[in-house]
Order: sequence, then C-alpha cells, then structure tokens
Amino acid sequence: MSVSLDDIENSKCLFVFGYNGADSHPIVARRIVKARQKGAKIVVCDPRKIETARIADQFLQLHNGSNMALINAFIYTLIEEELYDKEFVAKYTEGFDGLWDVVKDYAPEAVEAATGVPAAQIRQAMRTYAGAESAVIMWGMGVTQYGQGTETVKSLAALALLTGNLGRAGAGVAPVRGQNNVQGACDMGVLPDLFPGYQSVADPAIREKFAKAWGIDPAQMDPEPGVRLSLVPHLAMEGKVKAYYIMGEDPMQTEADTSSVRKGLEALDLLVVQDIFMTKTAEMADVILPATSWGEHSGVYTCCDRGFQRFYKAVEPKYNVKRDWEIISLIATEMGYPMHYDNDQQIWDELRELCPIYYGVTYEKMGELGHIQWPCPTLEHPGTPILYTDLKFTAVASGKGQLLTHQWRKPAELTTPDYPLVLSTVREVGHYSCRSMTGNCAALKALADEPGFVQIHPDNARQLGIQDQALVWVESRRGKVITRANFNERVNRGAVYMTYQWWVGACNELTQENMDPVTNTPETKYCAVTLKSIDDQNWAESHAEQIYQDLKARLRSVVENAKPAAVAM
Amino acid sequence: MNRFILADANKCIGCRTCEVACAVAHRPDGDVTGVSAVNFNPRIHVVKGGDISTATACRQCEDAPCANVCPNNAIRREHGFVHVLQDRCIGCKTCVVACPYGAMEVVTHPVVRNTGAAVNVLVEKAQANKCDLCYTRPQGPACIEVCPTEALRCIDRNELEAMSAEKRRRAALDAGAQLYS
Repeated sequence: MSVSLDDIENSKCLFVFGYNGADSHPIVARRIVKARQKGAKIVVCDPRKIETARIADQFLQLHNGSNMALINAFIYTLIEEELYDKEFVAKYTEGFDGLWDVVKDYAPEAVEAATGVPAAQIRQAMRTYAGAESAVIMWGMGVTQYGQGTETVKSLAALALLTGNLGRAGAGVAPVRGQNNVQGACDMGVLPDLFPGYQSVADPAIREKFAKAWGIDPAQMDPEPGVRLSLVPHLAMEGKVKAYYIMGEDPMQTEADTSSVRKGLEALDLLVVQDIFMTKTAEMADVILPATSWGEHSGVYTCCDRGFQRFYKAVEPKYNVKRDWEIISLIATEMGYPMHYDNDQQIWDELRELCPIYYGVTYEKMGELGHIQWPCPTLEHPGTPILYTDLKFTAVASGKGQLLTHQWRKPAELTTPDYPLVLSTVREVGHYSCRSMTGNCAALKALADEPGFVQIHPDNARQLGIQDQALVWVESRRGKVITRANFNERVNRGAVYMTYQWWVGACNELTQENMDPVTNTPETKYCAVTLKSIDDQNWAESHAEQIYQDLKARLRSVVENAKPAAVAM
Repeated sequence: MNRFILADANKCIGCRTCEVACAVAHRPDGDVTGVSAVNFNPRIHVVKGGDISTATACRQCEDAPCANVCPNNAIRREHGFVHVLQDRCIGCKTCVVACPYGAMEVVTHPVVRNTGAAVNVLVEKAQANKCDLCYTRPQGPACIEVCPTEALRCIDRNELEAMSAEKRRRAALDAGAQLYS
C-alpha cells in the first residue's frame, strides 16, 4: 500500500471497497474505528453489511460481481460533476481522454440495475471522497478474487489519481493483503517472474548480479519466468509439470475447484510438502518435510504497508523438525550446490546486498519490534512511510500516473434456476487461512468448528425451508458439501457466504476458477450454487461427524505409516 | 455503587476476543489450551444484529433480582459487585429466569465428590456463571485488557456521572435552545 497502516487513522476519509477488516484483520479494523472516532468520513462498498458498514457515513450495498460497473460510475461522476482535481490530473497523470471513452456509458443512473446502488448514492459517495481533505481507498480480496481483479485495481487507482489522493499524509491506496506476510513472500521473490526486491528474472544484468553472489555461472540461470501457483494443477495434468515442492501451502483447501486441484496433484510424479501440521495436501505428498512453526523460530515479516519487522523465537522446537531455510540448504547441498547459513542474519544481509530497495534495513535498525518500510536504499535512510511523495510514478517511463479503467465484465458463472444463489468465499475472524494452525487452537475451535457454516439471509433460508443452525447441502456444478446454515441479516438476499477453511464444509469443492489473466487469481468470490434442506437432521449430524473423524484418522495414519528418511541428513 | 462492564457498540467489531479472554481468565489454571467447546463458558457475550455488534455482561444491579430470588442465599453484594458463592449454588436456575439482561447462566462441570464412605464419585456440580469483574485478577477485567478497539470499559460512579452530565448538557444546550425559538 502507498500509505502506512498507522497513517490510516489520520485520514479524513476512508473509502472501503470489498474489504472486511473486522474479520480479516482486527488490528487494521482498529485503525478504521479510530479514524472514525477522529471524525473521518467512511464510505463502504460491499454486498454484505460488514462491521465497517455499521459505522459508515454511507454504505453502498452493491450486487456481487458488479465492482467494475460501480467504479466506472464513480469515475463518470468525478468527471461529469467536475469533482476531480484538474491541476493534479494535468500535471501528474496520463490517459484522461481514454478514461472518458470507457466510462461514458456508465452514468450512475445507467448502472443502477447492474449494481443495485441508487444513482444518488453513487454520486454522493464521490462528492464525499473528492471533497475530503485527504482520503485512503482500502480494498481487499473482494476486489482481487474476480476474473477482472487486476483491471478493477487499476480503476480504483484511477479514483485516487483523479482526486490527487496520493503521496501525502492520510491519502493513498491501501490494498490489504490476504494473509500475514504475503507481502514478505512477494518481497522475497516468491513470484514466478521476480527475484527478491522486485527485480526481473528476464533482465540479464540482474541475473548476473545474483549468479555472482551465489557463485554460479549466469548462463545456468533460467531466464524464463516460472508458472503461477493456480496453473500448476493444469500443467501437471498436461504433463508439463512433473514435480511440485510446496512449502506452507494447502492448495487442496485454499485453491478454487478442489476436484481439479486433486486431479492435478494426482498427475504429478513427485509431490513434496513442507509444513508444520498435516493438511489435505500433505496427505497426498510423496515426501513430507516437517518444519518449525512461527513460535519456534525467529525472522522478519513484512506487513502489508511494506514495513519490515523482526520477530523472535518463543519456544524451543520439539521433535524432528527443522527451519525452512535449513531444509532448503540441505536439499540444495544434496543436489550438488553446497548451501550453508549459520543464522537468520546472514540470509538477511545477503538479501540486503542484492536488493537496493532493502539495503538500508539492517538488523540493528529494525531493532526490537521496530518497523521500517521499504524503499530504504541507504544506511542513513529512515524508510518510506508514504510512497509517491514526489508524485513521480516510475512504473512507466513518463513518470505519470496512468488513468486506466475497463469495460465491466460479468462473472463467469451466473445463477440459473437450478443454481439460484451466488456463493462468495469470505473470512471469519477466529480462523486463519487453511486453519492448519488455528484449527489446533482449543479456544478458537470452541468459537467455530467443523462442519463450518454457510451464511444466508433468513428470508432466503425460509423460502428453502431451512432452519438456523441446521445442516444443509450446498451444491454447485462441481460438487456438494454438508455444512451448517447460519442466519445472518447482514448478508444480501440472493447470495450465500462460506469461509474456505473447513474440511467438511469445504467451499472450494464448489468454487470455479475463471482466473484473472494477469495474476491467475481465481474468481472465488462468485459462483452459482443451490442449498438443499435435510429432513433427517440426526443422520446429517452423524454423517458430518463421520466425515470429520474419517479425515482425521486418514491424516493420522499417513503420519504413522510414513517411512522416516533413510539417510540421516 | 457497583462497577460494571459496558461495551461501546460504535467501537465493537464483533471479534469475540473478550469471550475467549473471559473463559481463560476464569479457568483455575489460566491455561488457554485447556479450553474446549464443552467447557467454554464465557461470562461476556458478543451479540450481533442487523445494525449492532456489541458485548453484553452483568450490570451488577444495586438491587439485584438474581440475589433477591436465590433460595439458598448464594448471591450477595460484596467486593463491589454481585457475587455468587459457588459452594452454595444448587443450580436451580431461578436467577437465570429473574435476570432481565440474560447475564446469568447455569453451567455444570464434573467434580469428584467423596461420598463419606471412602468412595469417590464423579458428579456434575452446578455453577451460576456471571461477570465477577475478574475480582481475583490483579490486572482487573481480562476482557477490557484484550479488546482490540478499546470498546469495553468498566464504569464506576464517577464515569456514570460524567456520562449523565454530558447528556444533560447536550439535551439542555442543543434541544433546550430550540424550545422557545
């Protein structure tokens, strides 16, 4: 994000689009509440009446899958009502005319039916946003987990550029990442086309720099970008990927369309899973590499605001586990490249030397729980809390902010009479990601446990003869799962919501891909489903319990029957 | 006057951290890993409606209906709150019925009881569960300590008086000014 998380408290206006802080990041939600207490205007765009919507000045309850139509209407309003910052646009941006070409058909009045938002509300929202002294747009997976995610992000950035809300205190764009340290993974080059520090693998000079540091021949380095995670199962089925080494991911739980992921993983010659607990993915592995957990080692996380933070070991690791980097070093050594590090700091210092934007972030500077935001190019540099303060947007040669938007495309799988409800996958506060960690926490299990929940508006549930807390079938074209109906007056009629972490009520058995063409992120926010009531609830309870116990027994037996490594490394 | 826990619905984000902190604080071993779905008995409850998220707990009434109806004199006002003497509680649930806030719950937990004939048997002991302001905890109420948005407060006589004074001021100055205009 271009701003700092703590700076969000100081903004005069928070424009929250497809981001549910209270469930995804309570610590960020606290900033939103504080900003509100300090008098910030809050505008929320979301199909559900999320916690932030309760305290908002304005809540635009848009239809699922209409993001781009709504944002184009916002852009239309800014231009038509001349609410935009003409001086800023002229000096620091490009593409204004092209913008109008796209949005001219998106008058708020014209998109009322598509978005479900009254035109007056759309216009009022833009008057508030453009009129604020400073404003931050916050967005989350409600924007990016659509087939049109990348384009939608660009159009949100256009709102900030049009109103000059970039490069100063309390003003900017704030995409809040899906998981803890996702930013760190990107920073470290866990992307198919980048080295650490956002340096392209296609650049020969960059390859040479890394090859020199690692003592290898630059010609040995692969100049082609790799493949993205969501494409691996498909490439495996085509026979193009033979082996898959997964570290700390559970695609059988977290990726869209589980049955297609399952077929992909089954088609592999070799699956290696490095993780801290057993998962449905680890169950399929040929080799399991047990690693230390977050409390058993130290390291550096990056927060979604580009801030590096050191963290420290809380307990000594037990049993036969190793540090992630130790495992990588041992495997590299076995494969003929002797790799050895003594400690975290050696790795960090190597990273600093190779990545100009991190160079100034020394261990000493990070100190105990300090927070230093990249870019930080020199040892004297204090870090960069706010990006673009010079209003130069260096992603393009001209240095001008690119005003971009696109025609709205409907989601790939629309509802039909057979599958009349939209399923959107969401988060819940008590459980994190695939739940391999929080599912082992007794207190969090007490708050929410298998077979999970499907949130549904009471009116929709009554039409289907479904009682609150009853077990139901949720069915899509790809599968069906059993889960518990959870009446919720805050969700919109016509859509149901499930969290992706449950083994029994596994919503990704139902979701579909329709990936964004740039990021290959699947469209997990939208597919068509139907709900079916179950007459014999006693049978349903024991059936759900049986599925859960069987799966636990299977995972246990995989561990018990696993052969320990023949060679002691 | 008794103090009591009050949640500000404008700050509550419905995260239920207070519930977990409460359940853990009232375990004799204070061990979070000992909590399970069976013994998870928080004395503060998050309530979510269409427009409200907030937490509810005992108001520590000055003339407490729960204490008035208890047939075994297990509930009394002491230590600055309405205190349940658990060894006197018989689990009759009259207090649950009497409480207008739904703040009282009767829960059971297994205990070993000696029958007197050198035989130890496992029996269910009832307990009337309500907020005790964590009176044995030196740091004060656990829920207040953990709330990420500082939505929970312990209201005492002074704070209640300040709240009322502010409301009187607003009523008089805002509404009063218009009365004769």
